[in-house]
Amino acid sequence: MNWAIGLVMFVGAVGLSVIGIAGMLMSNHLFRMVLALAVAEAGANLLLILAGYRWDAAAPILLPGHSTQAMVDPVPQAMVLTAIVIGVGVQALALSLVIRVRQHYATLDMRVARQRMQDALDQAAGVVPPRSQEGPAGERPLPAPTRTIEAGGPHD
Amino acid sequence: MIGALDMLLLAALAAIPLSALFATTRSGRWLLVAAYAVQFGLLIMLQPATAAHSALSFQLLGNAVGWQMDALGWYFAVITIGSAGFAAAYAAGEWSEVNGRLGLSLRWLYAGLQINVLAMLLLLASGDFVSLFIGWELTSWAGLILMLLAGGDAIRASLRYIVYAIAGGMTVFAGLVITQAAVGSLQFDALHAAAPSLGTGRLWAIALLFILGFSVKMASMPFHLWQAPAYAYSPAPGSSFLGSISARMGLFGIALVAIKLIGLAQLDRLSLVTDLVDLRGLLTWVAVFTAILPTFVAMRQNDARLLLGWHGVGQGGYMLLGVIIADRLGSAGGLLHVFNHATYQAILLMAVFAVIHRTGTADLNRLGGLVTRMPLTFLAMLIGIIGLAGLPPMNGFVSKWMIYRALIVDGHPLLFVATVISTLGTVLSVYKLLHNTFLGQLRLEHEQIHEAPWSMTVPMLLLCVVVFVTGAAPGLVLQYVAAAQQAIGLEPVRYILGGIESPTGSLDMLWITAILFAGFGIGAVLFYLIGGRSRRVHQLDNYAGGHFLTADVRYQYSDNFYAGLMHRIRPWYRGSFEWTESALVSALGAASTLARGFFEQANPAQWVLVGTTVIMTWVMWYALG
Amino acid sequence: MTDVTLAVVLPLLGAFLLPLTAHRGLHWLGMLLGPALLALAALLLFATWTAFESPYAIALGGFAPPLGITFYVDLLGLLFALAVPLTSLLLWPGGSDEAAIRQQSLTLLLAAALTGMALSGDLFNLYVFYELAAVASYGLAASSATGPAFVAAFRFLLISALGSVVTLLGIALIYFKTGTLNLAHLATLSERLADPQGLAAFAMLLIGFGVKAELFPVNAWVPEVYAATGKRVAALLAGLASKLAVLAVVRILLLVFPHDEARQLLLLLGTLGVLSGELAAWQARDVTRMLAWSSIGQLGVVLVAFSLPGKAGLIAGVTVAMHHLVVKSALFLLADRWGGAVDRLKGAATASPLGAALFVLFALSLLGLPPLPGFWSKYLVLSGLAEAGSGMQHLALGVILLGTVIEGGYLLRIITRLYAAPERDIVPPAHRFPNLFASGLLALLLVAGAILIDPLWQGLNTLAASATDTQVYVQTVLGGKGITR
Repeated sequence: MNWAIGLVMFVGAVGLSVIGIAGMLMSNHLFRMVLALAVAEAGANLLLILAGYRWDAAAPILLPGHSTQAMVDPVPQAMVLTAIVIGVGVQALALSLVIRVRQHYATLDMRVARQRMQDALDQAAGVVPPRSQEGPAGERPLPAPTRTIEAGGPHD
Repeated sequence: MIGALDMLLLAALAAIPLSALFATTRSGRWLLVAAYAVQFGLLIMLQPATAAHSALSFQLLGNAVGWQMDALGWYFAVITIGSAGFAAAYAAGEWSEVNGRLGLSLRWLYAGLQINVLAMLLLLASGDFVSLFIGWELTSWAGLILMLLAGGDAIRASLRYIVYAIAGGMTVFAGLVITQAAVGSLQFDALHAAAPSLGTGRLWAIALLFILGFSVKMASMPFHLWQAPAYAYSPAPGSSFLGSISARMGLFGIALVAIKLIGLAQLDRLSLVTDLVDLRGLLTWVAVFTAILPTFVAMRQNDARLLLGWHGVGQGGYMLLGVIIADRLGSAGGLLHVFNHATYQAILLMAVFAVIHRTGTADLNRLGGLVTRMPLTFLAMLIGIIGLAGLPPMNGFVSKWMIYRALIVDGHPLLFVATVISTLGTVLSVYKLLHNTFLGQLRLEHEQIHEAPWSMTVPMLLLCVVVFVTGAAPGLVLQYVAAAQQAIGLEPVRYILGGIESPTGSLDMLWITAILFAGFGIGAVLFYLIGGRSRRVHQLDNYAGGHFLTADVRYQYSDNFYAGLMHRIRPWYRGSFEWTESALVSALGAASTLARGFFEQANPAQWVLVGTTVIMTWVMWYALG
Repeated sequence: MTDVTLAVVLPLLGAFLLPLTAHRGLHWLGMLLGPALLALAALLLFATWTAFESPYAIALGGFAPPLGITFYVDLLGLLFALAVPLTSLLLWPGGSDEAAIRQQSLTLLLAAALTGMALSGDLFNLYVFYELAAVASYGLAASSATGPAFVAAFRFLLISALGSVVTLLGIALIYFKTGTLNLAHLATLSERLADPQGLAAFAMLLIGFGVKAELFPVNAWVPEVYAATGKRVAALLAGLASKLAVLAVVRILLLVFPHDEARQLLLLLGTLGVLSGELAAWQARDVTRMLAWSSIGQLGVVLVAFSLPGKAGLIAGVTVAMHHLVVKSALFLLADRWGGAVDRLKGAATASPLGAALFVLFALSLLGLPPLPGFWSKYLVLSGLAEAGSGMQHLALGVILLGTVIEGGYLLRIITRLYAAPERDIVPPAHRFPNLFASGLLALLLVAGAILIDPLWQGLNTLAASATDTQVYVQTVLGGKGITR
């Protein structure tokens, strides 16, 4: 029975990581990318927990009177605790950056944001972007939108 | 204990700040010419027969690094300091004043010249591979200073130069580290001692890398494209100095590493495909093609500086040919040609720059008829082109004769024919130079031109004396050539004051010169006594078919010179090398765009996954295999 | 002897104290606090360096290794640790407004984390410090508070965070196979990792830590982040942070994965990095991104150098890394006013002759003109590669030389523009004094390095001898020898 749960756990951990990484690659929506990152991190954390887990042992909490009982390896759990904290911090930072990007470029689409960034960098550097200025309107760099635009990006 | 070599290097080093300090005044510049004289004197005081060691030596990263100058380096050093001294004197007077007013940085010019001299002396005095590489790189970068000074076209040319130069330098670097891996040391002696026991693979790698690297500086084919514009567009003293000696540093490197250290016996072990072709055979053909093709490229040039620049490339082929044949006569001819070429090339470039100084152009289609306006410059150029074309009694003849002679004696008829073709091209194109500049119709706008100032003509004429004297008495130089041959382990040439003495054919230039002048004398006597019915008219006083020609009518062609010949040989000018070079640059551009595409992805994390996947696949593959 | 830990703690403390000074008219304190703490940290590390006799370990919190977390103090770690406060001090963002204080606080955080990375003797602890440094650098990347900076920082965050997930998976894998994460303990168990799974774990760590080390192929963030942020931040990330990430990889390589396959992997990725970086820089038309791509190429050389086995590899790697730290920081400082299009630089040398001369000096050293230190660092790498002599290494040798040729092409493009005649009298601005001063100091360091190259090399020899000796590490940490507290 335990091995079945173990298998589910392992498959789940690897699966979460794969789903997360795949989600990050297949999405172009900034917020979804952050979510995918969270999923991937959860998978990695679960795997780390499993690395030191024993099915026949108790939680590694030292209580008076229970000192002789076999316990789960506490090291991975401590690490995962740290990793979760770090992960939350990074995700919060990521979200704040997403908000800033949305404020500046009125979009949550990675492709649009990247294009705007490239154009802005090229312009600041005084390098003419390699695309033709006489091309169809869609190919040209768009004029910078003002912050009041409500429905900016295609994914909003 | 400071030795004579240290004194020389110190003097060259001390002259750099002095150059930057004094270059702006006329008297200061003459002082700098004196500084070159001092350096020359210090160099003469060195004994070329026994290698002079420098007290300067370091232990760097486990390598002993030191400097010493043997007869080979000494011979090249004489030419180096001499060229620099003449270039400095040429520019010391009016030239610098005029060009300084036009915005040329004289401080950089003179300091750059002196830096070049120091760098070359360091190279020529290298005592091991580390000091060789230090000298090599410093020389390459120092040349850039002189090339960049002119601005405009020169910048493009020098960018091209530096890419070639770095490529050459890095090839030498690769040779250096592979030598260390193979031999275990970076001392010259170590390679010399270990060369016979090295496997052919290692030996191929070492010889090829060094020779390729040095060839880039020589501008041997197929690395010849950079040199002519890079040297030609430099300011006058820079151009005459670089054109005289700079590229010869490559020859020095080849003579040192391939001939002296690896040795002829080991070089002959390097053969391809069942001994059909060997490295030396290959190099002789590279040398011959370098002598031919650039010469015919030179013939097409309409800028006098570029014409001479391309000849510089071509003449390098003769030198390489002589050194690679490496018999008694051929190698002496190759080494002697270094000196001879430096002297007449300096004259020619100085003459061309004197014309530029007066007329403001070097365009061969916009000059002509200057012989009466600048007679001394004309005389200098005449002597220079006789030297370049390899005609007696000037010194170019002697060295070329020795190379031809060696080719015939050693049984290389094809190579001989090829060099003759090259000489033909040389004769034709130097005549174009002389004709289009000094002969033919005088341009109206050049009517008021007068001779270049004495500060420019005197160095030219002094060099003419050198060209003539060493042409009539080549033994003066051949004694040092023989010492240089000995220093790189070759049999020294048997020389007499007038030339060569050998069982297969001697050459005594004293006799040849005497006969020539006797012939000239008889001709002159006949002309002035029997003929002599001539009348001077003004150059603009011209008639054609009984009709007076006004001065603005162009009746005498200089444009499209040699039209008939060019029509015949035009299909041969395919520009294959230019094409290949630009194709390579385009390919680099394409690869660069590809690399940029790699970095500028829509999804930043993509490569994390791709990288992980690839690495995992590799690991799996490794696990299975 | 626990004072080394203070070098981590003090900047960390400062990072959290600094924002408090913003509100209460304590500007003078805020101006002083950061530099003072960094100087103190540098002094502490320097004192440790001068008093150094043999490597020792510090058990934090009093738990003995392998259970507790250890700091390991040896010359290699100290050298890199010492570089952290010194470079941060040199690249200190001045000012006392709110944005400046935020940036200063993040710089302190970065310095603390990087010092921790240099000294850490535990894989997970290394990971935590790495993450801390990463968070600080996201903040720094966004610190110029412009649209491009936010996008670039976010993209940087995504790559880096995903890399961290991969690292975490790798750490889990290692823990599966060995049951420990203490580097010394892992060193004794390294045979267990000498199989494909172990190699996979190494590859995962490499990808994770490689993000900050500008490792191919996880370095797509480099050009855009450096272009979008201030040049001091770019110098900090390219010059300093990348080197500490490399150090983390090297520690892991030396102790945990002393297998040929791991070195091969590093060599391969390093070579590809050189090739891709230099090629991309060839077509860059603005100075900042040219330097950014060139830094990717240089980091490739660093990784190739560290992939060489034994002492020679470590000496070569440390030399190249330190050289790049000095040169690239200085070049970014000089690019502060010259960051735009290369063509706009015409005549810049007339406005700022000293700046132009310094630029030329650093560029020449980067290209390896002897006798500048760049030549010797390249010489060490190349002779190591020639000596190691397998096909792969010869290929790397060729690629590095080819990279140098390309590098010469584009750096000279800048230099010729600097000294060209100005176009239409538009002269690029002169340098700000602090930048010029800092890069002048770095130039002095470079010249001193050129003069003192042989003593430095001998010092590196002793450093490398102890750093490559796994036995010393294991005995120091696990043998109960030299452990303080």
